Amino acid sequence: MKIAPIRTNQRLANSLEKFSEQGGEKIANYINAAGKFAIAPLVIMYNPFTKESKENKEWAAIKQPVEAVITLGAQLLSLNALYKGIDKLAEKGKIKFKLVEDAIKTGEIPKPILETARHNKEEALNLLRKNCLDIFKDRIGTILTIALYVPVLAISNRIFPKIADWMVKDND
Amino acid sequence: MTNIISPITQSKFFNNHLKRVINDDAFAAKTIVVCSVMKDVFAYSVRYKTTMENKKIPEKRRPFVAAMDLASGIVTAIAQIAVGFSIASPKIQNKLWNGLFKNAQFKDIAIAKKSFATILALIGSGLITERIIVPLLATPFATFMEKKFFNGAHIPAVTTSHNNLSKPASMQQFLKSSAG
Repeated sequence: MKIAPIRTNQRLANSLEKFSEQGGEKIANYINAAGKFAIAPLVIMYNPFTKESKENKEWAAIKQPVEAVITLGAQLLSLNALYKGIDKLAEKGKIKFKLVEDAIKTGEIPKPILETARHNKEEALNLLRKNCLDIFKDRIGTILTIALYVPVLAISNRIFPKIADWMVKDND
Repeated sequence: MTNIISPITQSKFFNNHLKRVINDDAFAAKTIVVCSVMKDVFAYSVRYKTTMENKKIPEKRRPFVAAMDLASGIVTAIAQIAVGFSIASPKIQNKLWNGLFKNAQFKDIAIAKKSFATILALIGSGLITERIIVPLLATPFATFMEKKFFNGAHIPAVTTSHNNLSKPASMQQFLKSSAG
């Protein structure tokens, strides 16, 4: 009888490992979009403190998922292009981290990396290089996401009234 | 391009940051929470500027409406950081990890633990706090402020949070107030 929870745990563990391959910035964007897509409209529609007309609520509720889809689409497209560009530069040896260079010189590698590489120094150096590059990509990705905010909102503000107008029956 | 990248990747500050993110899972999760909140802070700043320039709001009320935008932005950011940082703390992480993955097998447990901390901190701050708690609390708070400072007079558009539905002067104002 104890097999079911172990399987559930394992499925959750596998999903976690797969999801974590995406990197921090993309994960943050997925979670933000999920909140806007699924939770924000419900909070708008069923907020007990709000005394708005049903039509007003529906319009505002529709705005959230439309904005979530457009934002996430723009973020993923631009982040993928940015990450590809950074990877290409790294392959050409144009991105060098001091932490990696110091590790090559001194042999001092952060403990978690060394443990993951099972104390194989060459593998640990490759893993350290990959980790540094992933963190670098995340930070540059955040700046790009912030820069995208203004054009993305402008686009979604143009698109969503058309969708809301089509979906909401206006009694006014 | 290398001229722009090298000063960053060779800087002491960025390499210390890399070292901490690699060595400390809680710090890694907290950094992503801060990055996520930074995006919201930028959005609130844009909203503040838009409100100050909105000529449909009477001039004498504009500073208060804009101040409410700013205040709600600051409150949301602080709440998100408080919740995100609490969830990212090693004590809570260990409890949740042991509860969920006691018998599970991982290809790389170190990476999985780091991602788990990040994902949970983001769910707590960006999903539960930002999308449920703050919007629900913002509406009665806006009503309270309106009564206190305007004796129940109508405010054209008090924009208090991402999902807040306050008192719009028109459909356009109303939709602006729920932007996020």
